[in-house]
Amino acid sequence: MVESRFECFLCSLRTVNILLPSREAAYAHGIATAGVVFAVSQACREGYLTNCGCSRKKRPNSLHRDWIWGGCGDNIEYGYRFAQGFVDIREREKNHPRRSPGLARTLMNLHNNEAGRRALYSHPEIACKCHGVSGSCSLKTCWNQLASFRVTGERLRQRYDSSVRVRFNRRGTKLIRANSRFRKVHKEDFVYLEESPDYCVPNPETGSLGTVGRRCDKNSDDMGGCRLMCCDRGYKTRKAKLSERCHCKFHWCCFVKCKVCERIIYIHTCK
Amino acid sequence: MAEGVVLETLSNRKLVYLTMSLLLLQITFYLIGGLIAPAPTNVQNILGTKCLDTGGGRAWTKWHYSRGEGRCEFVDEFNDPRIMMDHISTNEIVFVFQFPTPRGGHELDMSRWFQNIISVLQLDVEYNPDVQFDDNPVITMDARLGYKNKHDNHSDWTEIARSTEIRDLKCNLAKRELGQPIECDLLPFFELGSCHHDYYLINIRLPVDEKRMMNTGIGVLNNIYMIAIHPNGGFSKVWLSLKTCLFPTMLAVLIWFWHRVVQLPRPSNLLERMLLALGLTMAFLNLPVEWFTLWIYMPYMLLFSDIRQGIFHTVLLSFWIIFTGEHMMDQVQRNRLVLYWKHLGAVAFGCICLFVFELCERGVQLTNPFYSIWATTSGSKLGYAFVILASVAACVYFVFLCVMVGRALINIYSKRSLLATMSKARRKYYKGLIYRFNFLMMMTVVCAAITVIFFIIGQVSEGQWKWNENSLEYNSAFLTGVYGMWNVYVCCLLILYAPSHKTKAVITGRFPLHHKHVICAITLCHQNVVLEKEIWFR
Repeated sequence: MVESRFECFLCSLRTVNILLPSREAAYAHGIATAGVVFAVSQACREGYLTNCGCSRKKRPNSLHRDWIWGGCGDNIEYGYRFAQGFVDIREREKNHPRRSPGLARTLMNLHNNEAGRRALYSHPEIACKCHGVSGSCSLKTCWNQLASFRVTGERLRQRYDSSVRVRFNRRGTKLIRANSRFRKVHKEDFVYLEESPDYCVPNPETGSLGTVGRRCDKNSDDMGGCRLMCCDRGYKTRKAKLSERCHCKFHWCCFVKCKVCERIIYIHTCK
Repeated sequence: MAEGVVLETLSNRKLVYLTMSLLLLQITFYLIGGLIAPAPTNVQNILGTKCLDTGGGRAWTKWHYSRGEGRCEFVDEFNDPRIMMDHISTNEIVFVFQFPTPRGGHELDMSRWFQNIISVLQLDVEYNPDVQFDDNPVITMDARLGYKNKHDNHSDWTEIARSTEIRDLKCNLAKRELGQPIECDLLPFFELGSCHHDYYLINIRLPVDEKRMMNTGIGVLNNIYMIAIHPNGGFSKVWLSLKTCLFPTMLAVLIWFWHRVVQLPRPSNLLERMLLALGLTMAFLNLPVEWFTLWIYMPYMLLFSDIRQGIFHTVLLSFWIIFTGEHMMDQVQRNRLVLYWKHLGAVAFGCICLFVFELCERGVQLTNPFYSIWATTSGSKLGYAFVILASVAACVYFVFLCVMVGRALINIYSKRSLLATMSKARRKYYKGLIYRFNFLMMMTVVCAAITVIFFIIGQVSEGQWKWNENSLEYNSAFLTGVYGMWNVYVCCLLILYAPSHKTKAVITGRFPLHHKHVICAITLCHQNVVLEKEIWFR
């Protein structure tokens, strides 16, 4: 979302507070929830969280037997269930009457949270290992690989572009696509209730921060370019001296040695 | 086998009963796997903890562990300020994998029911234009594997193996762009033939040596995941119980069979000896040696069970060839193993290739569990060479078998047209031969087809990750079902192809004979033979 007029200001969990039920709000909810699933699953793997997994099978009662009998559940599964409880609870604790905007917003958020979770777990990369007789494939074990979060982020960005506008159904209890010409809403899609406001000008009511002062790219013609980003108001250019690490020697984890170089750059910001 | 076998003398009703009960038994085998047993294997996906080893020189004798008293100091990510400030170098970072990981607030321990552990590594590599990334990157790991038991102190880790391993990274870099994740193939890591201890610990270092170009071109390494695969305890229990039940059953059938053969007035023939061998190898495969692993440290179990399976396959393949040969009906006296040297040579060659390969892989792993023949280019070439040679031998074998079966079938058709003209005794003899041959062919084809079909379904369905809980464990059902099926097959052969007392009484009354050429010597059927030969040469 870097190259968009919309600025994701404090898109972190629990502070997701974008006033308008726009597609940006949908994205913010989705990525925050996906982040929770990712972080929890990751922590599970490292063994830092004590409550992970191990309850896939209902068979034996005691944990120890469960572990010997059926192994432990998948970490993503735990992350998914955790995020369901942790993120969705905020939406579920409110009670809204039918047809109320509050209910619409709640339903929208719940849907987008689910879409965020699904972006992570319904596209796992499956890896398999053959380990049968003499290493043949008579026995094959597969598992879920968690892709890097960057991949999930890119997928969510695509979902943002293809999100679907929704409205209440006739009974006022569910959200359906606003226009029957749109495609049907899938669980993995982002949904929104209202079109995005003009993010060019700041407006506390809509949650828009405006693009004044945003950095832009002088040579680009797309959303990150100065023309579109600054909404034709023009841009300021300032000269800055940048000190950075350079001529570095880097090994797989760490810098070995670097020089500090100073270089002059031009920074363009919107008026 | 000129006398009848049980199969011929069995009344139709009895045969149906037998078939039905064996079929029921077979279904039971599938259900045991599908309903009682859990998934055959379990996967633990463990993220390596990045411990900092700031003190202590290059001896690297200290164990680093991530949980428990005296655990190491670690960082979550390499962009942690500590790395920069303390000038931590690559040689001071240890990837630590301590498993099993705790679950549900409990520190779990490995069970001996897990039998063995196989592990692979998954590297989380990222592209950075500042960091060299070779076209054919090679990673050098200083890996150490240790164990600890329940009542040991936190730091009481004992070394199992230590090795410097070099692995080729096969990576796919889509775009050379900052932060672009690089997809790399899984690296084979270690295989332990025994899961005897409670806790295991892996320490990996990736030392950098610029002069030797060691670990200089592997990009930015963010994380290492270790995937540990082991049989499920529940599955091992079901599997072992199955074997424990099957072993005495098979032994009883064998004793019954051999008793019948010994009772015959003539010495046993080749086919009977072959059946005995098949039964013995099946019984050997059923022998539940795995019980001992619960008390004794047996790191050679993986190798042992592979060899057992190999012996069974060798004997089964040889049996098919000899069975077809003995039912050829072409007036050639066989009944000697030497005559099958070409066919058996192919079987032996293929099996020896696989055996040598097995020794190269799992045999070496007895001393160094980190060893893998596939890890290096030259090693994998050697591995492929063995596998290809074995495949060629398998192809040659199947060509032989198909030719033999084809010839036998042609003989059957020509004999069938002649049956009406034959004398009663000869007709009975040939009918019996044809019946026996067809029965085994059918049974073998059905068993082989079921194995192949289930195998393919297994390969395809495993590719899809099942999110929902499913009550039927397909893979376990496949394993127990197929294992049970071959047991039923061998049992069936031993029972149905055992010499029958009934026919013996009838036939020996008239012809005290059991070899084709003896029958042919009798003037009674001499004419028929001449007739047959004429037709054959036409």
